Amino acid sequence: MTWQSALEFARGPLFYGALLFFIAGMLYRLVTVVALGWSKDRVPDKGSKAGGVVRSFLKGILIWPFIPWVKNTFSRNPLIYIGGGLFHLGLFVTILLGTPHMLVWKSLLGFGWPTLPLPVVDWLAVGGIIGMLILLVHRRINPVLRLISGPAEYLAWLVVFVPMVTGYMMTHHLFFRYEVLYTFHMFSVDFLLIWIPLSRISHFMFYFFSRAIHGQQFGKRGVRV
Amino acid sequence: MVATEQGLQTLVHETGGWVASQLEACTRCGMCAEACHFYQATGNPEYAPVWKVEVLRRAYEQRFTPVGRFKSLIGLEKKITDQDLEHWSKLNYYACTVCNKCALVCPMGIDLGSLLHGVRAGLSAAGVVPDELMAAVNKQVEEGSPLGMTDEVWDSRLEWVADEWEEDIPRDVKGADTLVVFSSIEVMKFPTNIAAIAKILNAAGEKWTVSSKAREVVNFGFYEGSEEHTKLFLSRILEGARDLGVKRIVVTECGHAYDALRWHAANWLPEANDFEIIHITGVLGELVSSGRIQLKPGFFDDKGTLTFHDACKIQRKGGHIQEPRDILNILAPNAFKEMTPNREEAICCGGGGGVIAIKDADPIRYAAFELKIDQVNKVGAKTVTMTCSNCRLQFTNSVEHFGLDWKITSLVQMVADAMID
Amino acid sequence: MSKETIEEHLKKQGLTRRDFLKLSGMLAVAAGFKFDVPEATAGGAVARRARGYSADRRVLKAMETRPRVPVIWLEFSDCAGCTEAISRSNSPTLGNLVLNTLTIEYHETLSAAAGFQAEQAKQDAMAKYAGQYILVVEGAIPVAEGGIHCTIGGRTALDILKEAAAGAAAIIATGNCAAYGGLPRAKPNPTDAKGVWELVTDKPVVNIPGCPAIPEATTGTIAHFVLFGALPELDALGRPKPFYGVTVHDRCLRRPFYEAGKFAGSYDDEGARKGWCLYKLGCKGPTTYNACASIKWDSGLSFPIQSGHPCLGCSEPNFWDGGGFYQGQSAPLERPEVTAVAAAAAVGAAAGVGTALINRSNKKAHGGEK
Repeated sequence: MTWQSALEFARGPLFYGALLFFIAGMLYRLVTVVALGWSKDRVPDKGSKAGGVVRSFLKGILIWPFIPWVKNTFSRNPLIYIGGGLFHLGLFVTILLGTPHMLVWKSLLGFGWPTLPLPVVDWLAVGGIIGMLILLVHRRINPVLRLISGPAEYLAWLVVFVPMVTGYMMTHHLFFRYEVLYTFHMFSVDFLLIWIPLSRISHFMFYFFSRAIHGQQFGKRGVRV
Repeated sequence: MVATEQGLQTLVHETGGWVASQLEACTRCGMCAEACHFYQATGNPEYAPVWKVEVLRRAYEQRFTPVGRFKSLIGLEKKITDQDLEHWSKLNYYACTVCNKCALVCPMGIDLGSLLHGVRAGLSAAGVVPDELMAAVNKQVEEGSPLGMTDEVWDSRLEWVADEWEEDIPRDVKGADTLVVFSSIEVMKFPTNIAAIAKILNAAGEKWTVSSKAREVVNFGFYEGSEEHTKLFLSRILEGARDLGVKRIVVTECGHAYDALRWHAANWLPEANDFEIIHITGVLGELVSSGRIQLKPGFFDDKGTLTFHDACKIQRKGGHIQEPRDILNILAPNAFKEMTPNREEAICCGGGGGVIAIKDADPIRYAAFELKIDQVNKVGAKTVTMTCSNCRLQFTNSVEHFGLDWKITSLVQMVADAMID
Repeated sequence: MSKETIEEHLKKQGLTRRDFLKLSGMLAVAAGFKFDVPEATAGGAVARRARGYSADRRVLKAMETRPRVPVIWLEFSDCAGCTEAISRSNSPTLGNLVLNTLTIEYHETLSAAAGFQAEQAKQDAMAKYAGQYILVVEGAIPVAEGGIHCTIGGRTALDILKEAAAGAAAIIATGNCAAYGGLPRAKPNPTDAKGVWELVTDKPVVNIPGCPAIPEATTGTIAHFVLFGALPELDALGRPKPFYGVTVHDRCLRRPFYEAGKFAGSYDDEGARKGWCLYKLGCKGPTTYNACASIKWDSGLSFPIQSGHPCLGCSEPNFWDGGGFYQGQSAPLERPEVTAVAAAAAVGAAAGVGTALINRSNKKAHGGEK
């Protein structure tokens, strides 16, 4: 077994299987949660629920993650804002606007889009990796996070961190041969795809629920989200 | 163990898709801790909101998810025991006012307040509610009021208020437009509020009444988290309103009562939608902006710096954020100073959610109030006004405890004092 | 067995001493030696010696003393493209001298003889040089159904290979087919084609993959063995490190554009005209170990990427099945069909509904729904 054949396995059948598992798993999670039943809210609104939802998403996606200091809590716990912000920014820019990742989407979806120059993506990826390290350190030193973190939280961190680091090393041909890193990258990505539906990394799907609920709750009361 | 099982079953029962999707959204980032005044004041990590709902999350995970079932099967996740529930009872009833500030800092936007209320439902079903709180609930079941405001007390207090401040208080008037339901805190501890509200409504020419049946707006069942008790107390109000045939119910300066009646009653008792339910702060806003009552501009400007405390259930969870400010900007355009943070991000007084009714929680409650002291001192205010009697109780009690020279008052009081007759 | 040295042999072919020295230098380069060029000073200034005079003395010495080593060249399931590349390569002195003049005893395509004559010549050479000769194999060996898919003179390729391999001193598999099965092995591989090193395991086999193999890599490896009686250092895939030590990407002239994130999006867009990186067009350079970007083709004139075509990865095993030639290298090898995705979604949803039903009955037992 050579690195090439390991890589072919990771890029081929394993990725294929992991992707299907991911789709099945996420749908499973979605259905079980949705099917638990939703009670109807009969309380008359004071403000606008829909408006609240829109504001909640705009703020949640566009504004809030990027200007953390608008919140009072920032000064009390800046690490988590900086770490979390850097990580998510780096992650999303890399997997959506990095050329190699766009080609993955293109091969899966059938269409592509313009991407950012490598140096830009690269620095954001560095930011993402640093963000992850900050989050880990923070998880170790913050008393609340120590209390609420178990093996599952650290494992989730590792599962996300390995693809990021191997991807970065691959781009820069660091320490190991390209196909070795590529192999590790693909194996870790495959594992990530499998692990997402089994863990809290799936929060990105429920994010849309909780944000919408948040917007509804504050919107219907006529309170600024 | 039977009780614990019942508690868990209630937690399971509470967990619809609405709750589950939010539990699933949690990334365990711990940011909510920074919003909690009890955590800020004490630094105890167990007061982090995410940890307070942990028992609900575990119940959900172990009952509803294969991962959770697997984890508890191989012993990775421990079963919830009696001791656990007793422990979480302390966390939730002693150190949480369900003020929902945590929902504002949550990056996922999880409405933690609702989840915390769900936890209380489970704890109450398990019978681990702190004794003092439970005693108050039982008193309300039996006597109609947790503060011992029986029929006789109610009669004599109202008569006394009407005499003392020479205000007409219409009682049990059929066909009135508005039913005003006072809280026993006002009746027993802040009777000036009753006189003030009577004065305002009379001056505005409102066709209003109080009801001897619907005389208590306080709802300790809601603090407890018991659906049964909450519904019982709500239905007393709604029955009183229906008997008198009113169009709207005005909740006076009581936060959680407004929360329960305005934002939850209709989901348990559909007849609540037969009435418009509004908080007195909303009424004040209406009366002032429509000119039905006239205020003396700058009336409080020469009485020292004044600040406004936002109550969690009336401002953040009730939406009456702008009205008090509009009024204060008329009454004291120069003396009125805002605390930071304010409005929907305000820091809670620390006494709500039934916390003030529990003696053992006093140290935590006072610790949380120190945040408020800091805030008030920063603006240099000597007068603090608010729209919630529960906050006011916490303020007067704590001001006494800390020996502060602040004047604690209420918005209706100020409006009544500054009205042009 | 010939005791004739290489130099003696070349002299008989009419090579002058000067040509001989030039050849030594070229061979040294081809065999991948590093040179320590002694500095010469003239009038206080450092003068650099002209390249032609810097031939390594070891090569020269070897040429003067080493016996001539014969080569037997076999072709199986192939297109003769590797032979073609060598015979047409613009380095006649090297290719011709090393292969035709210097060493070749038997070559099916280049041989003047045919039929039984040619067979006889091969048998003679194998007998004469038993244990001495280098066996060069071009083309894959199909082994399905007893190997009937490739027979020469009534004998299967496998049979011929085993026979020739038995007396070889070293075996060189040139081209991807001989090395890893190449095109004949592409899915679904009906003839069960295999590379030489999978079939001959008792002798050292050097792989010179490529489609075709770079002529200089083949001749250089032969030269190395001829000169030093040993094979060059090999990597894990049996490739000589001097030629396959770095990736095409590492030496690519378009690499700066890759680093700068400037990619051609199609074959005739602005990026393509400006010579930007071909990664998005499916270039396999980053994982392809070959000397294309440094030795290039046609006397260093160009190579595919230089002329605007992405690398196909032809020096790597399974390159025909390693993802689309024109699909970005990062793309997964297989795109799940809509039906597969739908099936996965259906399985997930069905399992979800199943769990939900259990949960619901669980909840109902606990006092209705909320």
